[in-house]
Amino acid sequence: MTKYTRLAVAAVLLMLVAAAMIFLYAPEDYLQKEPQRIFYLHVSAAIAAFACFAVVLGASAAYLRTESARADRLARAAALVGVVLTTVTLVMGMLYAKPIWGTFWTWDARLTSTLVLWIIYAGYLLLRRLAEPGRQAARFAAVVGIFGFVDVPIVYFSVTWWRTHHPGPVIVSNALPPAMLLAFLVTMACTLFLAAVMVAIRYRIETLMDEAPSPVAQVLGAEREPEPAR
Amino acid sequence: MNRSIAVAYAVARKDLTSEWRTRELVPALGQFVVLALVIANFGFQIDSRNATVIAPGVLWLALVFAGLVAFGRAFAAEREQASLEAMLLTPASAAAVFAGKAVAAALLLIACEAVLLPALALMFGTPFNAALVAAVLIATIGMAALGCLFAAMVARVRSREVLLPLLTLPLWIPFIVAGGQAVQVAMGAGGSYNQAVALLIDFDILFVVLTSLAARFVLDD
Repeated sequence: MTKYTRLAVAAVLLMLVAAAMIFLYAPEDYLQKEPQRIFYLHVSAAIAAFACFAVVLGASAAYLRTESARADRLARAAALVGVVLTTVTLVMGMLYAKPIWGTFWTWDARLTSTLVLWIIYAGYLLLRRLAEPGRQAARFAAVVGIFGFVDVPIVYFSVTWWRTHHPGPVIVSNALPPAMLLAFLVTMACTLFLAAVMVAIRYRIETLMDEAPSPVAQVLGAEREPEPAR
Repeated sequence: MNRSIAVAYAVARKDLTSEWRTRELVPALGQFVVLALVIANFGFQIDSRNATVIAPGVLWLALVFAGLVAFGRAFAAEREQASLEAMLLTPASAAAVFAGKAVAAALLLIACEAVLLPALALMFGTPFNAALVAAVLIATIGMAALGCLFAAMVARVRSREVLLPLLTLPLWIPFIVAGGQAVQVAMGAGGSYNQAVALLIDFDILFVVLTSLAARFVLDD
């Protein structure tokens, strides 16, 4: 069992603990009933996605300063995990919105800005794929990674800046009963751990892909080997 | 500092002179926005009652896509003749060269707005006033800075036509949110014009500062 397998198993077990907290420990919401339980993973995934994009920002700035290949790999890994977590946030949010608001989607400031966030970082991943691999792709992506982060505070403050359907910040405004708060904090810690493990695994994959010879080189290398005698 | 301004002025003048001599982009953009209005007319069934509600949306759609074409072209000629590398070989700073390109592209987009705004007022029967023009011009500054940065970036990337809208449009959305509100108010809807324009100016400052910091990394090779 490698270090990465152990970390992955630990993350899955922790997510099961979080699920137990959400479904068995946390009390049912009086008004919203069962759908309210979506909140725990939805908000945790959003916070973990913000954390990933903050890592992209930091690693991108570090890359522009030092051109270190490690910073670039970290940015790549964190951006991918951040997009996955933003997808989870959007999907969970839509599942919550259907029973509570009566519609999967509404053009609300928070929903729209989160969708824009998803598009920005999906564009980041696409740029990485389309640009010439190497220094240029890394530089351009770093610039996009820094500009894209502008949307993160917009998403966070959108519920206070504009009138929206989306619930306001319940954690910082201390609006949760203690049992719900505990369930939320456990879920958030587990999700952050899961995100960190996914970034670590992806970082390892990026390192291996950077070090592996390109498919073209492999083919050329194979051709140069002497043919077996017939 | 003076030197940088001189470089930026020279680059902008070069781009505008080349556009004046060939007259390639501005007539095409002018036709493009008029066509956008024609398509909007068929898509929306516009009459005198709903025109002021639909017109702001049509304005921003036409402007955004015209902007993508304008900024996409800004670096096309440089790429075809490999003249950007030559400009960067001179001691001029990359940020100054970039500023010149951005100013020229913004002026070309403003020339296209000079067709779009009167045509919109004429064909949709919507109000045409200083507030409307001011809001669009203020939004153009920040949009030009961002659009030129990404245009410079994708100029050297495969499938640039796909990537430019994909990278630029999400970051233009703040301008469309605030600019859309300002234009709606200027056309007679309720709301605060000053607040929307103040937000536009905030975004202008933010993105002009960010792009001037980032220009070095995009142009240098």
